[in-house]
Amino acid sequence: MKRSVFILLLLRGIAAAAKALGAPQQTIGPALKLPLKPNSVRFAIIGDSGTGEPPQFEVAQQMVTFRKDFPFDFVLMMGDNIYGSKTPRDFKRKFEDPYQTLRSAGVKFYACLGNHDHTEELLYKPFNMNGQHYYTLKIGNVEFFALDSNYMDPPQLDWLERQLSGSGAVWKICFFHHPLYSHGKFHGSDLDLRARLEPLLVKSGVDVVLNGHEHVYERVKPQQGINYFILGNSGELRPHNLNPSPDTEKGFDTDRTFGLIEIAGDEFNFQIISRTGATVDSGVLRPRQKSK
Amino acid sequence: MTLQRLYKLVKTLAVILVGWTLFAQDRVNPDSLIVQDFAKRVNDYMNLQKSLAKGLPAPKPTPDPQIILDHQGKLAHRIREARRHAGQGAIFTPEISKEFRRLLGLAREGQNDAHIKKSLERSEPVRLTLHVNDAYPSDIPLQSTPPTILMNLPALPPGLEYRIASHALVLRDATANIVVDLIPNAVP
Repeated sequence: MKRSVFILLLLRGIAAAAKALGAPQQTIGPALKLPLKPNSVRFAIIGDSGTGEPPQFEVAQQMVTFRKDFPFDFVLMMGDNIYGSKTPRDFKRKFEDPYQTLRSAGVKFYACLGNHDHTEELLYKPFNMNGQHYYTLKIGNVEFFALDSNYMDPPQLDWLERQLSGSGAVWKICFFHHPLYSHGKFHGSDLDLRARLEPLLVKSGVDVVLNGHEHVYERVKPQQGINYFILGNSGELRPHNLNPSPDTEKGFDTDRTFGLIEIAGDEFNFQIISRTGATVDSGVLRPRQKSK
Repeated sequence: MTLQRLYKLVKTLAVILVGWTLFAQDRVNPDSLIVQDFAKRVNDYMNLQKSLAKGLPAPKPTPDPQIILDHQGKLAHRIREARRHAGQGAIFTPEISKEFRRLLGLAREGQNDAHIKKSLERSEPVRLTLHVNDAYPSDIPLQSTPPTILMNLPALPPGLEYRIASHALVLRDATANIVVDLIPNAVP
């Protein structure tokens, strides 16, 4: 009897872990799960992309494929945009070449800095940072706050507080490299960054936070009302590096991914897609102020 | 409001103000002669950097990384020439280093210590020995500096930053990508 209970619990545990890691719910092929509503804000997200290796090109090719059905206008980059050396050849091989088709089609890229990025990237025009470590971008009813989590000093925190409190956007979305919450085995949560930044994000009504750094995909259950996405596997990958916890809403750690997002009114629709075109996560979120 | 209540309010505010002042003095005290000396040395460095940048085209966004790297390289070369005799301690004098070690100790008080240690462990620590006037190698990650440390150190002008490399606290000119000075073994 005891043995059968143990086996039952074990099986339930395995099933829960498999569900969190997303394995049984993958779908193959370019099946779009976004509503394509008129006048919606459409964009893609990539993280830890700048390797210049074949998987980065393959993810980029999937982005091109999906863009035929979901014409997004811009891409947010979660940092580690250029790994290794930073010669002009590296900028070409690790950014310009993989995303050439998207860039030729007029898709703009907005970057933040990761720990592998150096300050020369601030002035690299295709990253649209205009020499700034942190900046905002307002599109429709959405305001994006790009932060430099490598160097979260008091002036940046003061700036963010001013920007967030002055923002009237329905959707406030922060993106930066280091995750405040992560169940990756290699890095995990950045606790000191969380201690300083989270109170400000909570107080100012931030709805969604997008991060990289961990070379897996993870969607964390809302923490103090904020939805956290970690997508740090658009070029790099640490296979089987996710240690799902009860706070993991969804995870995927066996291939590279990118994300597609459509914001229409008070709906944040997302679809996370693997290098092979499989959908590994999708859903709809609502802004914090309206879900209360 | 009665006079008595007003008196009580003023008294409470005075206590808070005195308490805050004492607390602030425990952290960075901008009036301290040591911090003033540090600020002056940093200011002198920035004036030198600005004067050396004269004649170079002002850096602005460009799609050509070579232009950015050329500007960085030329500025760094001029700084190295101008500061060829600058050694470790030119800015972080023994007195300033001692004060920085005290401030770093305060930053790690209580719960912050565990948070900072975890953050440092999880941000891909770099094992790298740097010297004054070295370029920070472009193929090595820049370890993030924990926000609590930054909150406890004197503010820097834009373009200068505190970085941690191995256990050293490095003062880095990010515009020229050059090590201005460092305190070895400042961070455990």
